[in-house]
Amino acid sequence: MAYVIAEPCIDLKDKACVEECPVDCIYEGRRALYIHPDECVDCGACEPVCPVEAVFYEDDVPPHWQPYRQANVEFFDVLGSPGGACAVGSVSADPPLVAAHAGRADDPNR
Amino acid sequence: MTEVIEALSLVPKAEAKQSMKDFKSDQEVRWCPGCGDYAVLAAVQGFMPELGLAKENIVFVSGIGCSSRFPYYMNTYGMHSIHGRAPAIATGLASSRRDLSVWVVTGDGDALSIGGNHLIHALRRNVNLKILLFNNRIYGLTKGQYSPTSEVGKITKSTPMGSLDAPFNPVSLAIGAEASFVARTVDSDRKHLTSVLRAAAEHQGTALIEIYQNCNIFNDGAFEVLKDKQQAEEAVIRLEHGQLIRFGADGSKGVVRDQATGDLKVIAVTDENASQILIHDAHTTSPTTAFALSRLADPDTLHHTPIGVFRSVDRPVYDTQMSDQLETAIEQKGKGDLATLLAGNDTWTTGR
Ligand code: SF4
Ligand code: SF4
Ligand code: SF4
Repeated sequence: MAYVIAEPCIDLKDKACVEECPVDCIYEGRRALYIHPDECVDCGACEPVCPVEAVFYEDDVPPHWQPYRQANVEFFDVLGSPGGACAVGSVSADPPLVAAHAGRADDPNR
Repeated sequence: MTEVIEALSLVPKAEAKQSMKDFKSDQEVRWCPGCGDYAVLAAVQGFMPELGLAKENIVFVSGIGCSSRFPYYMNTYGMHSIHGRAPAIATGLASSRRDLSVWVVTGDGDALSIGGNHLIHALRRNVNLKILLFNNRIYGLTKGQYSPTSEVGKITKSTPMGSLDAPFNPVSLAIGAEASFVARTVDSDRKHLTSVLRAAAEHQGTALIEIYQNCNIFNDGAFEVLKDKQQAEEAVIRLEHGQLIRFGADGSKGVVRDQATGDLKVIAVTDENASQILIHDAHTTSPTTAFALSRLADPDTLHHTPIGVFRSVDRPVYDTQMSDQLETAIEQKGKGDLATLLAGNDTWTTGR
């Protein structure tokens, strides 16, 4: 079980959540951030700080964002379990769901 | 785990392979968001399947405090007991039921203030139990008063001008109380925490693990210097049995014995002094060097904080000895009868 980052994070990457995570398990992809499903300890610190409410407890992800549960898992298919995001830094990849996303509706650069 | 751990040889094995999920209870975890306790809970739940023990034969006993909510979240037997008394209850359980794996969860307030007495006697007796001491250097549950491990001058609501008490060093205290296994680890370092849990589980007798735990509400960042990648290099000394005690960037610093005083000190390693660097021996009978290692850290800045297993030695285990003694007594005198003994004639009358 773990927390999950959903659509609102895409192309925003505010990273307020990263600051809060006590076990450094929120990893940065190219267009969004991802929570490691095995390293997350379910402490809930990231959820309230996200300015766009992108973070959800796994069981509370709204129906239309369900695929993001899988996206947070897929992101780590290649990375494995590094045991800390800080040492990994930014990864220039995203799972297909995020990579193919059209972009934020309110993004002026879109 | 295929090989049988001697210390757990009397505990029945699980019938099927277990996963972390098996050890999660259905209770909603209630600590403040971001609390270090979550990380410890996840590490313990993740480690338990490795032992492969029947869940019905595992018990977590806690006292009072934030960390003492732990037993609710473990899908094992458990008891949220009386303030400071978890070691006493666990002692009774471990010595009368040797088919159980008994764990104690306690905090710096619970274990070192009201429960200080119970803790030192459990350690001295060497009962087969594993004590997880969550040290966050504050009273969290009661909203932030200084604890027996808070640094001198700690400003809290109960000490507005700074606390006057000198803190305990739990590792030094445990070694002084004849503990046969003493270790220290950090909540956020899952790999290290798990390795220490493994070593403690394999140990026969009482194991004390001090876990530096962040209380992000009332004492946030208390161990930041040990967690921050850059600072940790200079601050943390990782102890590994049989390895040179070196740390810092590229092992540029080492621990040597001061020839004049016998004490330990940190030096910058050069070609000339490299041969003097100590090799960590956790299994040596004498507690002297382990104690000296526990004194290396600066209590205020936490610089030169050793983590890992300080001491792990074989010593007669209380429960084994007690059960041997009971068997001998029965052999020599037959099975006794408590009721007859109580109603016996070994009585006397006091004068008025
Ligand atoms: S705080 Fe929210 S938007 Fe910012 S990186 Fe985290 S999940 Fe993404
Ligand atoms: S729930 Fe806690 S551990 Fe999990 S990602 Fe959020 S802050 Fe990190
Ligand atoms: S008060 Fe501190 S120790 Fe207690 S649950 Fe909250 S963060 Fe954790």
